[in-house]
Amino acid sequence: MFKLRTLAMLAAPIGVVLIASSCDRQPGAVAPGIGKPLAHFQPGNFVCVPVKITGGGRIDYPPEQAEKNPPASHEYETFGAHVMGSGQQDANGVCLADKGALEWVDHRPEMEVNGHPLNLHATEVTFAEVATDASCTDGAVHWGGKLRVQNTGQSDLDFEVWDCDNGEPGRNDGFAISVPAIDYAVQCFTVTPADPTCYLTGGNRQFHPTH
Amino acid sequence: MNIDNFRRAVLIVGLALPMSWTAGSVAAQTARSYGVKVSTPTINQTASSAVLPPGADMVTNSGQSIVVGSLVTAQDAFAIVTGDADATDGSNAVSSATLGAVSLLSGLITADGVVAVASSTIGGNATGSDAEGSSLANLVVNGESVSYPAPNTWMALPGVGYVVLNEQIPTGDGVTTSGITVNMIHVVLLDALTGVQTGEIIIGSASSAVGN
Repeated sequence: MFKLRTLAMLAAPIGVVLIASSCDRQPGAVAPGIGKPLAHFQPGNFVCVPVKITGGGRIDYPPEQAEKNPPASHEYETFGAHVMGSGQQDANGVCLADKGALEWVDHRPEMEVNGHPLNLHATEVTFAEVATDASCTDGAVHWGGKLRVQNTGQSDLDFEVWDCDNGEPGRNDGFAISVPAIDYAVQCFTVTPADPTCYLTGGNRQFHPTH
Repeated sequence: MNIDNFRRAVLIVGLALPMSWTAGSVAAQTARSYGVKVSTPTINQTASSAVLPPGADMVTNSGQSIVVGSLVTAQDAFAIVTGDADATDGSNAVSSATLGAVSLLSGLITADGVVAVASSTIGGNATGSDAEGSSLANLVVNGESVSYPAPNTWMALPGVGYVVLNEQIPTGDGVTTSGITVNMIHVVLLDALTGVQTGEIIIGSASSAVGN
């Protein structure tokens, strides 16, 4: 028993070091620290390289599934989104986005603001980093910036998205969004192409490794 | 750009590009969506319309309340078009039009949720277009509830004309070009005596097309 305990005491620090070193963030691929736990989008597995991802579509959330909800439930979101980065970092190591846009409409009755669908509009896209271990066959990007809630005028709110192109057609692609300041998130952590993305139930995401 | 010009643009992508295609030709994409379109001898109006110009990545438009005479009322219309023409990595175009409650022809047709989504992709090993994600909620046509209408469902509207639900019009050759237009509610107005078309009403329209 003593030998086993000694062995465990020796092995534990080595294991910690190995795990820690394996999670080293790639140089220059740093996103602002507003994120929630990333599952398939593994922390540390990002690179700052030229990238573009485009498209839009529909997500039926909740629940976390790839099928459309009954239309009468109005439990769905529609969006358009794109981002482009040239692989440049700022002085803080943030992987900068050159340009981008996000328009997000949440049609769920429970999310209505003054009787109208919640409408989020990006005012600035600031970062875009490519995920290297996101289980997306064609490519995945973690990106974000600032947005405005069109219904209320609240602005300069940090947002981030997890964006997955999982081949064609787009029904296997994924997308997720978080706006912490208003405690808003559409994220799926089960049975999705790459946690926390939710399956698209319409539309398409297209990853462009070169542009 | 008016609707006729946009249709011509889609037609060019869908038909002309394959004929002129050669290796190294320029990739192209078009996308358009709108919430409401009314064309009659006295009204020609399109509301909440978004068209993707060449070189642009995304365009949006919206309207909280749309009223077109006694023909249409609609709430919460959003039009979003996005796309990219990329000869190297592939091109895509996605457009959507969504609406809340709609009423046509003084309640002859009603619905409380309309979603039109058109998506086209070309590149890699895939070329295609689809209307996945399109839907109609609580649709009632002339007193009849209609759930999950199949593509191009045709229903007569006595004394008015007819309606095509979930209308899907593909374009392109499926190899070097591909496109689709989806109109969730397309009413064709006919003269009661002659049967001649006098106008049309379209609710929830999304178009996308790509070419390489």
